[in-house]
Amino acid sequence: MVAGSVGGEADIHFDTVKVSVSPDSWVDVHTKARDDLDLVFFSWLSAIHWSNDVQAGDSLNEEVDERFEVLTTVGDLTEGRRVTFSTRLPIDSPSIASLVGVYTGADWHERETYEMFGIVFEGHPNLVHLYLPESFIGNPLRKSYPLLSREVKPWPGTVDVEAMPEKPEAPEEPSTENPEA
Amino acid sequence: MTIDTDAIRHLSEAQVSVELETEDMTLNIGPQHPSTHGVLRLVARVDGERAYNVQPVIGYMHRGYEKLSEVRTYPQITAIVNRIDWVSGYANEIPFIVAAEKLMGLDVPERAQYIRLILTEMARISSHLIFMASYPLELGAATPLFFALRERERVLDLLEGVTGGRFHPNFNRIGGVKPAYGSGSATRKMIQDLPAGFLSETREAMDQVLDVTDELEALVAGNEIILARTKDVGVLPPEVAAAFGVSGPNLRASGVAFDLRKAEDYLPYHLFEFDVVTGENGDCWDRWWVRLQEIRESAKIIQQAVDGIPSGDLQAKVPKVIKVPKGETYVRAENPKGEMGYYLVSDGGQGPYRLKIRSASFSNISILPWILEGALVPDIIAIMGSLDFVLGDVDR
Amino acid sequence: MEFLIDLFDNFWVSLAGKLLLVATMIPLIGMVIGFAEMKLSAKMQARVGPYFAGGRWGWAQLIADGVKFFQKEDIVPDAADKPVFKSAPILVLVGTVALFVVIPFGPGLIFRDLSVGIFYALAISSLSTIGILMAGWSSANKYSLIGGLRAAGQLIAYELPLVLAVVGSVIMAGTMSMSGIVEAQINAGFPYVIVQFVGFAIFMVAALAELTRIPFDMPIAESELVMGYLTEYSGFRFLFFFLAEFANMFSMSAIAATLFLGGYWLPGIPEDLLSFVGPFILIGKVFLLAFLMIWFRWTFPRFREDQLQGIAWKWLIPLALANIAVTAILKVVL
Repeated sequence: MVAGSVGGEADIHFDTVKVSVSPDSWVDVHTKARDDLDLVFFSWLSAIHWSNDVQAGDSLNEEVDERFEVLTTVGDLTEGRRVTFSTRLPIDSPSIASLVGVYTGADWHERETYEMFGIVFEGHPNLVHLYLPESFIGNPLRKSYPLLSREVKPWPGTVDVEAMPEKPEAPEEPSTENPEA
Repeated sequence: MTIDTDAIRHLSEAQVSVELETEDMTLNIGPQHPSTHGVLRLVARVDGERAYNVQPVIGYMHRGYEKLSEVRTYPQITAIVNRIDWVSGYANEIPFIVAAEKLMGLDVPERAQYIRLILTEMARISSHLIFMASYPLELGAATPLFFALRERERVLDLLEGVTGGRFHPNFNRIGGVKPAYGSGSATRKMIQDLPAGFLSETREAMDQVLDVTDELEALVAGNEIILARTKDVGVLPPEVAAAFGVSGPNLRASGVAFDLRKAEDYLPYHLFEFDVVTGENGDCWDRWWVRLQEIRESAKIIQQAVDGIPSGDLQAKVPKVIKVPKGETYVRAENPKGEMGYYLVSDGGQGPYRLKIRSASFSNISILPWILEGALVPDIIAIMGSLDFVLGDVDR
Repeated sequence: MEFLIDLFDNFWVSLAGKLLLVATMIPLIGMVIGFAEMKLSAKMQARVGPYFAGGRWGWAQLIADGVKFFQKEDIVPDAADKPVFKSAPILVLVGTVALFVVIPFGPGLIFRDLSVGIFYALAISSLSTIGILMAGWSSANKYSLIGGLRAAGQLIAYELPLVLAVVGSVIMAGTMSMSGIVEAQINAGFPYVIVQFVGFAIFMVAALAELTRIPFDMPIAESELVMGYLTEYSGFRFLFFFLAEFANMFSMSAIAATLFLGGYWLPGIPEDLLSFVGPFILIGKVFLLAFLMIWFRWTFPRFREDQLQGIAWKWLIPLALANIAVTAILKVVL
């Protein structure tokens, strides 16, 4: 229903309605969602860096198109309906129209996404770093950004260093006292 | 500070009837300030007592949890999500664990769900009691702090009795809660499940919490000065709140009866009776009042859950090495501060490919430039305090 | 004995004696009230309060605090206006000390019985305002500056009701001498609070504001201005402010007790005994009023600056004027 009214491709998985739209219609889609579908509550905006070159964390199991996926979630304030909108941006100089005019709360989320992924939000009134100092170079949440601490020391890795004991040792004297006493 | 002698000379020369040449002052509030709940910094242009163009500066506590999650396994992540909103650490675990379980298709045993629900509500009570303690302090009344913290200690003791941790329980496991060991004595099993006498003590503690809410109401709500300081101060209309993504008690204080405990089904809240409390004006007073009522509702939920807790397993069958199948989901929960959600993207590995953390306080304080425009300096503190944020929840 | 009387007839010896008395009395009173505040606030907040220093009840806590303050480094901010910064606490303390001059502790037990006693007391009590303003201005700290300005605005606004509130008592007694007012109450046979209750209430509210205590502690306002004009002070300069606050509480309460509660007199006590029990009666009354102030301090939150001004100009001053008019009319008619 949502996909029909905003013109996109809907995909429902694990109780999450995800509607993929084109980046050109990004602002229109959100305006429609807010005005026609009554999804007035702006929950969050963020992005995913789909990359085959993963510097920190596990690599993907299969090759993907290198791209950025920008996500927003908006909801209503009566029944608890929520929709996640998604759009894809090219890996080189990604940019998209800002949502600040539709949902004021997108302001900080877009600034965060800008500094963490390097995605430019056109029309944003104040697109500067949010968390990091202005002199910070790099976009930490890109998969190509290595995590220095993990380079220096691999632990804690993906598996536990010590094996879990199969069976815990039985206490030497089974205590019969009340544990709270 | 240097005195601008030129300005003074200019004044004396120009005689009396000339308008005073005033200069705006830039006032930095924080990052070290008693009322910024940590390391929030506000830069305000102050004209006398009135503040304009208030800009929050955040990031002093940015720990990069979203990046860290990408290099950790699912069981390890529960330990870091605990530290997002540290005054209700337990509640932060729930949406993450539920998201992982959803992707794995696990059915969590009912007893584990009840335990989760009881502990989540305890986390809510302790978080709201911190607000009850700190808010009057920000208005200058020190005494309610001690009454509220005393009660919070009772709740934290219970939480500690079950989980072993006061602030960072790390008690949830994917598929349930921390299990009893497979073997060992009966006593040991009991320690790992709920401690002996936990249910009756909880019931008693909840009665005491209900008593102390009456006490707090008498102490604070009956005080004319508090009313004068909070009524019609920092009014937040519901439309503005929604557009900024303000959620939780702050949103309900503006009159929106929206509670994710009713709207979503991450825990079996539909089995219990409780009211969604709303305010009328959306001012500081309503935000205080809504939280007080929520303590009462939470105590009621806990009492019902304690009465109806079923017996049974604490954990679903899960493989030893947890791998979450490929998929994406967004799970959100009603945390004490508001909507807390995790957008979990899994590629079938032992750790998430991407974990977006939607924390409540981040959106809640993005309202600050709007709501503080033209406020008096004392009102800045009153409004900030009433939004009840935690910097760990803002910066993540 | 003869020798002693002769000795004290010498101006310089008597002055030295009086100085010594004041020099011991002010820290002592400051400590007693400060300790009472610590213990009472603890009781009100379900705490124990000071417990270890001195053994029993932690009675030596404030002595230990005082020693600690003297050991601390005397920090003066680089950008501070140094002479002003350094002299501000002294000025505040001087204002407090000078107040003790006109408080009658018993018949004849007064440092100097000025014929304009109450006038002098109120004038001197605003001296500390200048000290606070100096502290706020010279600290080179924006919070201090706001705190100092708030203090100035507040103290000016509350000086008026404070002065107007005592006029009722002055009209009734027909004198401005502090001991004269007490004697007038002894002659009338009742403390003036019975007929001057409005004046008493206004005086106490205004005195709280003068002392910048909760609910009127905006110049300090820990949760807003960190500590206001006190932010940059440490060590013994901070101790001066600290002592001045508690000593000021004493002197303000003493003035209130003298003007409205009969001072060193209590109905039913024979007048010839007053020289001995008078000081104790006055100190008892003072502690009663100080207890009230401490009680307010730990019960109420603080007002906002504009609400504070509103209370002074819209309520207290008209009320005090009405009180004066009614008192004057009744004085003429009766």
